[in-house]
Amino acid sequence: MTKALFKKQMMEVFSWVYQNKKSGKNRSASGIAGYVLLYVLIFGFIGTVFYFVADMLCEPLVSVGLGWLYFAIMGLLSLFFGVFGSVFNTYASLYNAKDNDLLLAMPISSGKILLIRLSGVYAMGLMYELIVIIPTLIAWFLTAKTGAAGVICTLLIPLVLSVLVLVLSAVLGWGVALISGKLKRKNIMVVFLSLIFIAAYYYFYAHAYSILQSILINPQAVGSRVRNILYPLYHMGLAAEGNVLSMLFFVSIVGLSFGIVYLVLSRSFLKIATANCGSVKVQYKEQRAVVRSVEQALFQKELRRFLGSANYMLNCGLGIIIMPISAGVLLWKQAVVREVLFGAFAGNEGVIFLIAAGAVCLLSSMNDITAPSVSLEGKTLWLAQVLPVSGKQVLMAKLKLHLVLTLIPAAVLAAVVEWVLRPVFEFGVLIPVVAALFILFMASFGLFINLNTPNLSWTSEIVPIKQSMGVMISLFGGWAMVVALAGAYAALRKVISPLIYLIGVVILLLAASAVMLRWLRTKGARIFETL
Amino acid sequence: MKKYELVTVTGKGVIRTSGWGLHAEEAVKGGLDYVIRHEGKQQRIKAIKRKKIFFVRKGEYIMLKIVHLTKNYGEKRAVDNLSLHIRPGEIYGFIGHNGAGKTTTIKACCGILQYDSGEIYVDGVSLKQNPLACKAKLAYIPDNPDLYEFMTGIQFLNFGADIFGVSASDRRARIRRLADTFELTDDLAQPVSAYSHGMKQKLAIISALLHDPKLIIMDEPFVGLDPKASHLLKELMREICDNGGAIFFSTHVLEVAEKLCDKVAIIKGGRLIKSGTMDEVKGDTSLENVFLELEGER
Repeated sequence: MTKALFKKQMMEVFSWVYQNKKSGKNRSASGIAGYVLLYVLIFGFIGTVFYFVADMLCEPLVSVGLGWLYFAIMGLLSLFFGVFGSVFNTYASLYNAKDNDLLLAMPISSGKILLIRLSGVYAMGLMYELIVIIPTLIAWFLTAKTGAAGVICTLLIPLVLSVLVLVLSAVLGWGVALISGKLKRKNIMVVFLSLIFIAAYYYFYAHAYSILQSILINPQAVGSRVRNILYPLYHMGLAAEGNVLSMLFFVSIVGLSFGIVYLVLSRSFLKIATANCGSVKVQYKEQRAVVRSVEQALFQKELRRFLGSANYMLNCGLGIIIMPISAGVLLWKQAVVREVLFGAFAGNEGVIFLIAAGAVCLLSSMNDITAPSVSLEGKTLWLAQVLPVSGKQVLMAKLKLHLVLTLIPAAVLAAVVEWVLRPVFEFGVLIPVVAALFILFMASFGLFINLNTPNLSWTSEIVPIKQSMGVMISLFGGWAMVVALAGAYAALRKVISPLIYLIGVVILLLAASAVMLRWLRTKGARIFETL
Repeated sequence: MKKYELVTVTGKGVIRTSGWGLHAEEAVKGGLDYVIRHEGKQQRIKAIKRKKIFFVRKGEYIMLKIVHLTKNYGEKRAVDNLSLHIRPGEIYGFIGHNGAGKTTTIKACCGILQYDSGEIYVDGVSLKQNPLACKAKLAYIPDNPDLYEFMTGIQFLNFGADIFGVSASDRRARIRRLADTFELTDDLAQPVSAYSHGMKQKLAIISALLHDPKLIIMDEPFVGLDPKASHLLKELMREICDNGGAIFFSTHVLEVAEKLCDKVAIIKGGRLIKSGTMDEVKGDTSLENVFLELEGER
């Protein structure tokens, strides 16, 4: 039975390899091979980046006898990466799995169900961890000379380390389960925590080089601190150098941690998995209803859809946060920005305003709210189709949401840009106009793409939000468009002034938006009505 | 017969506006037994002279008219030349085995599904030509109500009421009455995602009834409802039809259909194989026997 359950869990975890999530059908052998190859390339690319880091650290640390520190640092990095990759799925995998009821109704102990679920989290964590640890091992074996014991221990370390990934992910998932049962505004909290996570990630990313430099300049001091604070990782590093006793110690610590976490989780598993988490019962009190027009009601519905999903907000509305933050940073660093730009483009200030308009457009394209909005109707599409509202009204509500949520922060950013750069009147008018038209075009374009590539049969909203063709095209299409417009100016800069070029862009965007809007109101609306 | 936007009256009394009818002169020529809305003689004469009032024959008023409906899914013909009429005051049952074409027919009647040929009229208005006007008159309750899970129950009801333009006072009174009836009032502040299947079904029913629809189309409406809610729904269905509404619903529960329906239609392989009043269809035997005989099971 355990084998069958384990097989089921692995099939579930790796179903993205062999199953087309859009159609629900299994991929062909060549399809699977192609898909695997694609992911190998993506992971290979990320792994290469980590290899450069590993290569940078390995030789200097090994040469001063701190090979264990290299392994401890890279192990810590892979631990973070593994947890980062799997933590978002842990809560759902452990407590919100769709087959929880089915398994609980079978003669299987809840402890065994938990163990099987944890195996899925382990597999996911291992997959992410390997992206860092494989380059780590390559750099290690190319540089360090270890005996047979060292080689065996080094090869076993990834498997043990991913148990540590599992322990941390499971604790975080458990924490989310406990908190989410008590929160009213869960989505906002999830977005807030995710943003902190992302900010921390980018902070680390931005400071990675200086962190590495500080390690290389003073490895003994860093080593001493790591040994004191992360004692198990110190032994993990020693194990990689061939210290079998340290390996045993490391395995024991990880095993003990897992045992404790498993015991704690198994005691509450049944209660959490069978509770309707997140439902803090709110007593209904009759209130005076606000009567809205059809358009207002549809807009309100779209807004609730957006605010009701942390995934939607995080993946398609990042620009709402990024634009004001960028405005703040620009205000903070205005003197430096002015000095750099006006120094670089002295005598040709018009280019600065072109860059400014491009920057606002680029940041606004981080919002692709309309791109998955049709697909997100999913199984509730029947409601939009059975109500006496036209496809045009529904699409315009989706468009309006994108515009409202993007134009406001873009206006703030554009205002700050103009405050800092003080453009002449013509550019002062054109920068916000270009940004507004670009946003209008991108909002329409997102709908256009999604109407032509809808996916209404998803079981997880992540599929249309993150993994759909429409979102990819819309997101990268926006960036590609800004890059193309910049390229076009570079090609035409000798025959055309920045002002004339920007006027040309306004005309182009105006025409493109008009065409797109007309399509949406006619053919697009008909497509929506017959989806 | 010409089609007009018109005023109508039926057997038991005055009902609504708009529907199938004949122009006054044609009606007179045809010698039909008709009724007009305005009862004052002078008013009637003026209306006839101005040709601004139209007539409908007693008992001829049709709320849902399906004419030669055909729908294909690729090579497979799901509904084949199906025609039936549903009049105000009727509860019309639609039965057939799984995959017989019931849901396809029902979805086509609601404007959710495009059909290949034929025509559907709701209260005399062509669904093809004026889908929004038709949808404004009807309500649909699906068998598996996938509702907006990001809304609370009350937000969902208010959304539906806004779309149908139900006034604040009307919606308040109706929500209170229907939510109390289905014992859902306490849960209206809960997100729909926290609702059970039965609660979602109740919410879908309440939402469907908020705008006082003329025609209610339901696909397996009793699935997921507890016995009390099921009983309440049956009572409500009868009340709606007694007040001039029409109900068209599919069901697998033949005992319910036999007790509740005024008329019934049996569909097999997309074709209508029997229809009529309950007595006409079942005769001296039970509906179950008739159904099984027609299905070739006996």
